[in-house]
Amino acid sequence: MERIPKKGSPERQRLIDEHKACMDSMKGVAGNSVLLCETPGDTTVLTGGVHADPVLKRVLLRMRGESPKGKLIVICTKIDGEWRIGRLSGVRGVPPELVGDKVYTDEQEIQHDIFLMRLDELSDSYGFPDDFHEGWKRKDDNWPIT
Amino acid sequence: MSYMRLTGYADKFGVHPGDTIKFYVNCDGPAEYKVEIVQIINGDTNPRGPGYIDKPIEASVNGTYKGQKQIIHGGSYGYVPDAKAFHVESFTLQCWVWPTAPKTHQRYWKHGAQGLVTKWANDSGYGLFINEDGCLELRINEHRITTGIPIRDHAWHFCAATFDAATGDVVLYHEPQVVYALDPESPPVVTNLKLAIAHAPVPVALAAYVKTLAPDDPLAQSSKPAGVVFAGKYNGKIDSPRICNRALSRAEIEMMKAGAQPGLTERRNSGPTGKLSECIVAAWNFSAGIDTLFCKDEGPYRFDATLVNCPNRAMTGYNWSGQNFDWKHAPQEYGAISFHDDDVDDARWVSDFEWAVPETGVKSRFYGAKLTTSDGDEDFIPFWVVPRVGQETAKIAVMVPTISYMAYANEHVACNAGGAELFVYRVPIMQEQNMFLSEHREYGGSIYDTHTDGTGISISSRLRPILSIRPKYDHFLAQAPWQYPADLHLIYWLETMGYDYDVFTDEDITYDGLARIENYNVIITGSHPEHNSGAQLDALHNYTQRGGRLMYMGADAWYWVHSYHPGYAEKGRGIVTEMRRCESGIRTWRADPGEYYHQGTGELGGMWRFRGRYLHSVAGVGMSSEGFDVSSYFSRTPDSLDERVAWAFEGIGYDEKLGNFGLVGGGAAGLELDIVDTMLGSPPHTLAVATSAGRHTEAYLLVMEDFGFNQQGLDGTTHPRVRGDIAFHETPNGGGCFAFSSIAFCGSLPWNNCDNNISRLVKNVLDRFSTDGPLPTPPANAIKHRGRADYDPTPIEHQSRKARGEPLPA
Repeated sequence: MERIPKKGSPERQRLIDEHKACMDSMKGVAGNSVLLCETPGDTTVLTGGVHADPVLKRVLLRMRGESPKGKLIVICTKIDGEWRIGRLSGVRGVPPELVGDKVYTDEQEIQHDIFLMRLDELSDSYGFPDDFHEGWKRKDDNWPIT
Repeated sequence: MSYMRLTGYADKFGVHPGDTIKFYVNCDGPAEYKVEIVQIINGDTNPRGPGYIDKPIEASVNGTYKGQKQIIHGGSYGYVPDAKAFHVESFTLQCWVWPTAPKTHQRYWKHGAQGLVTKWANDSGYGLFINEDGCLELRINEHRITTGIPIRDHAWHFCAATFDAATGDVVLYHEPQVVYALDPESPPVVTNLKLAIAHAPVPVALAAYVKTLAPDDPLAQSSKPAGVVFAGKYNGKIDSPRICNRALSRAEIEMMKAGAQPGLTERRNSGPTGKLSECIVAAWNFSAGIDTLFCKDEGPYRFDATLVNCPNRAMTGYNWSGQNFDWKHAPQEYGAISFHDDDVDDARWVSDFEWAVPETGVKSRFYGAKLTTSDGDEDFIPFWVVPRVGQETAKIAVMVPTISYMAYANEHVACNAGGAELFVYRVPIMQEQNMFLSEHREYGGSIYDTHTDGTGISISSRLRPILSIRPKYDHFLAQAPWQYPADLHLIYWLETMGYDYDVFTDEDITYDGLARIENYNVIITGSHPEHNSGAQLDALHNYTQRGGRLMYMGADAWYWVHSYHPGYAEKGRGIVTEMRRCESGIRTWRADPGEYYHQGTGELGGMWRFRGRYLHSVAGVGMSSEGFDVSSYFSRTPDSLDERVAWAFEGIGYDEKLGNFGLVGGGAAGLELDIVDTMLGSPPHTLAVATSAGRHTEAYLLVMEDFGFNQQGLDGTTHPRVRGDIAFHETPNGGGCFAFSSIAFCGSLPWNNCDNNISRLVKNVLDRFSTDGPLPTPPANAIKHRGRADYDPTPIEHQSRKARGEPLPA
């Protein structure tokens, strides 16, 4: 398992910088990947990002595999105009709640802020024996299947 | 925040000129709303494209309407109208149960007790329940008798309760079928209640209980029966429920497990005994009439129960042996019905307005009833005007993939499936529609979702607001239009390029067969016609074999077996579609063992591939990979120079990047991709004229049905089958298929006002395919024997661009 790089570490900053560069380059693309568009907004040539940085790739995979309860998500509050960060309830029938007041006017920028929030929120020992509990035997192992 | 104060649906997807279409609207708050019938031309709001476009239609129905709130009473159950025989003094209730969510979170939308077999409402009557704490509970009037033992989820239990009015003796039995080494005993609960049952005039409910009788409440009119509101919708299976009118001994209860077997003589049936026969009130046999919406009562009163909201049938019962997998061959082992608190088969709303479509003057196109309020609320109710068979108005027809739209209807994956991010490779974006649905589970889910209890949703009805079939709706899978709004890219292109065309739906071709399409020169598909009926595939096959031309505009088509449930035939065509996800294929859930056969038609579900109908046999290509982050582009292959197909590339350079632009993922090759594979059904003479090989990201993965062993190297950065192949092949009698092999493909058509090489390619193909008469005869040297796996690698035409000295420029 890939541990989440510690706060303040050069490795963590490297991941942050690379992720930011990727998201900036994706502005204008009707889609999103943590990769660098050689020409911003154009997916003809893609480099870097998760294709070049195995740590970034694994950290992102772990973030993406988190259970729905409390998971951060993007909520579009104005069609193709505004987006906000939300948090899933994990309970059927209970809608996500908005987190904070920040309104984004770009659907890629918000991806980066969620990445930063998750770096802070995800347990460093997530996925290791330190975290093993009863729920791991009952499909509550933070790696939900679809 | 409040989302979607306007929602609605129509009684039809496709309406013929001269017919009437009814609309049903929930207007929750605003006093009135405005209706405009519009032709919907483009649904994508992306600022890099043409933007949302509609065209107002003069219609008698246009105007302002008074708003009324309408709600859906979701959750499946069975009911029998009140009858004197149910007004017992003493009783025995019994059934088998396999509960799947006996205890729910306190904030869960339907947290509380769940009804099993009940004749109870508001502290009157009797019934078996699972209480709020997840324990079996008997209710007699206001009294609650419980075992205090949490009933194990996903396990069979036999449950029974007796009440003897003369003695007041009450016994509650909870007998787990499997008892583990460390399970405590579950002895019967015995108590005494001196009382007379108060009988409320309410129906008997299976998998629910009556909350209230509200004959005058407008919101109760959409319940069934109207005016009777049910609560306590149960999640799980029930098998063999019985009601007797006296307190049986344990031995008699055991005998009643076999049910009522009427007509006992010396030569036939084994019981029950005469004394038991005298006390049976009802003994339902769920294994009878599996393809219907009724539960057969084999007791003396014929209290057949009506099922509401289409629970799952053809479900393995408590006695399933694991020897038979088709319910038709062993119905006695399929005596369970699986109920869910979020099943929905019909919103049952009151019609707000209806439009008689004029016989003439309204073209066959995509339409919508555009609903708006002065406060800025907006919703659309899409429909299609479809010509009657024999009254086609064009040489081109678009086959609207409505079964696929139904399969994706009101999909919840972004907020329910924790793993959703793993396949979209970014944080999902929820739109207004998703936010509304996350709170309104009664609108039902899609066939990609699971019910509350984790079982897969295999039923989808179109008689409910389907908020994913909307313009201005980006899907989390694509962060761009998907299905309906994505198909509008194609419609925008047809309109912009000035083509005349008709439209018809999956329903139309399923019911009309070849007659629906044989008068067209070319049929154009949507971007992702993944879900199909057998009759539809038969019609397409017969069409192309007889000289018809098919333009397959997307990918991952002809994948899943669907059937329309015959129980809804009287309400119209294609009301409810069914699909079971069996042992292979891309599955967001997997059917349980023994539950692969459809309850409606009895046919084997799953992938058409595993019923011997390869995807690739329909239009020449089949799905090979999927990924949802960003798209790429195609490059021409030497096959594109073959004179059999070179006409398609007129005006397009050999080295051009085909579609390195677009409104879906940023390129024409993306989301889901099809390839040519002659071993999986592609005709051996198929030409692969362009490919996106080698260009996809690691988010793209090979489909699981193409490999048998988990292994590394399955993604777009490493696996050669992760690609899209644009392909062409001729069919007999001057027919042909052109496959564009990517769901994102149509998203490139509108780019730069439709002036681009993808638009050019499609125009070349459509112009040729729509021409009257057979396609030009292939050159004589093209007529030759070809193998499937076997081929000669030495001729120049079988070699790669690189081997031929034609490498692509950097």
